[in-house]
Amino acid sequence: MSYLSDIWGSRELLQNLTNREVRGKYRRTALGQLWSLANPIAAILIYTFIFSFLFRLPAQVGDPSGLNNYALWLVCGLLPWLFFNRVLTIGVDSLVANAGLIQKVYFPRIVLPLSLANATLFTWLLEMGVLVVALSLLGSFVLPWLPLLAVFMVVFALFSVGVAMLLSIANVYFRDLSYLLTIVLQFWFYLTPILYPVDMVATQSDRLGGLAGTSVTLLNLYQLNPVEGFIEIFRNLLYDNAMPELSRILIALAWAVGAFGAGVWLYSKKERQMAELL
Amino acid sequence: MSNWAVRVSDVSKKFRLYHERNQTLKSAILRGRTSKHEDFWALKNVSFDVIEGHTHGLIGSNGSGKSTLLKCLAKIYWPTSGSIDYRGRMASLLEVGSGFHLELSGRENIYLNGSILGMSKKEIDRKFDEIVDFSGVEQFLDQPVKNYSSGMYVRLGFSIAIHVDPDILVVDEVLSVGDEGFQRKSFEKFLEFKKRGKTIIMVTHSMQVVEDICDTVTWIEKGTMMATGKAKSVVASYKRSLD
Repeated sequence: MSYLSDIWGSRELLQNLTNREVRGKYRRTALGQLWSLANPIAAILIYTFIFSFLFRLPAQVGDPSGLNNYALWLVCGLLPWLFFNRVLTIGVDSLVANAGLIQKVYFPRIVLPLSLANATLFTWLLEMGVLVVALSLLGSFVLPWLPLLAVFMVVFALFSVGVAMLLSIANVYFRDLSYLLTIVLQFWFYLTPILYPVDMVATQSDRLGGLAGTSVTLLNLYQLNPVEGFIEIFRNLLYDNAMPELSRILIALAWAVGAFGAGVWLYSKKERQMAELL
Repeated sequence: MSNWAVRVSDVSKKFRLYHERNQTLKSAILRGRTSKHEDFWALKNVSFDVIEGHTHGLIGSNGSGKSTLLKCLAKIYWPTSGSIDYRGRMASLLEVGSGFHLELSGRENIYLNGSILGMSKKEIDRKFDEIVDFSGVEQFLDQPVKNYSSGMYVRLGFSIAIHVDPDILVVDEVLSVGDEGFQRKSFEKFLEFKKRGKTIIMVTHSMQVVEDICDTVTWIEKGTMMATGKAKSVVASYKRSLD
């Protein structure tokens, strides 16, 4: 408990470090914060051209929203993924990159990954804001779902930062972890239904039936990926304008609590040794 | 001796000395994890009290363990065994300007660095002018600190740190930052600090400084405490050991 009150006591520091990240990042660039939108826009253009125009992926019709627009459908899943990706790739280095600070000043170390996640959350918020405007203009009645969307953004952020915290400590022991992570994230991206719908995996899974003589199907394995559930939830809210399944919500909550809890627990264990390990 | 501000009880600190340090997954997987280390005791059963309002010096030759002790006192390292207790707020000053963000302005960095050192926003607001005055960088306050000269950089860093105003201050040999004028100014700040009844713990190599401002001294050699007590007598026996 005293560890949690320690974290609470350093919330101003957390806020200041977040500001440092947000303001420092795009300082002295002509477009400033707008740069953070450049990456997703490029990705949307490329993926829409390849998957919707060239590969002719089946149309994704939102139920009950009636939307039929691959680019929008894609972004609803892509933006959460990009957030997750950034939190992990930046977060994994949060301790090693701040070694100088950790060895000279005492403060709760957990504010380092938390502040990075906060700064990334800010960027994500900006992107989602643009997306919500675009969705509304193109006929999605997304406004009533915004409160729930905000809740799930927080839940997903907790999950992401939890994983990032675990990775950041592992990275202290194994310095090549961040390189490995880049590759893992690449696999992870294509194994998550962002570019294609889960139905396509389900079709293949039905064709194969139980794997290796068991009743476990390909789809079962595929859905072990926690990000899959989160992406579905975001698509339900944004694109379909529908309530996500209760089981999905509960699983997402469990992952978030589990990952964040494990991250905080590991920090409370390892925090005192941090300065000498680095 | 009940009015202690810092109590160091039976503190030991063990480090691992690595002969072959394995820090990559690659070698862990390909060769099995083969970090070889032996234990090294940087500190062994060190105990002393620092009385409230006293200035306490830590002395010893290079590699004696006094910096390790200082880092334990600053809560950067945690003792392997034993404990350190504080009465009052502790702040440490081991390096100036750590945590500055180069792209941010001096003004923004005062807030950032101040909060890293444990000040609240209100406190910084209140002391802001004093900090700027003391550092003498007003003119460049809205410039990014990457454009600062190294002197301005340390002066600003030092100025923030000295204004944290803790009950207990833990300092490394940072009295020697900036030019002569600034050094004198920071030395006076220390004396003022002392006069206000604050506790200071410092590491220094200069016996002159110790004799001038320390009330009590702990002398450490090879991780063991040789003597602790009144500055004069401990320094005398330390000097005798050098001859």
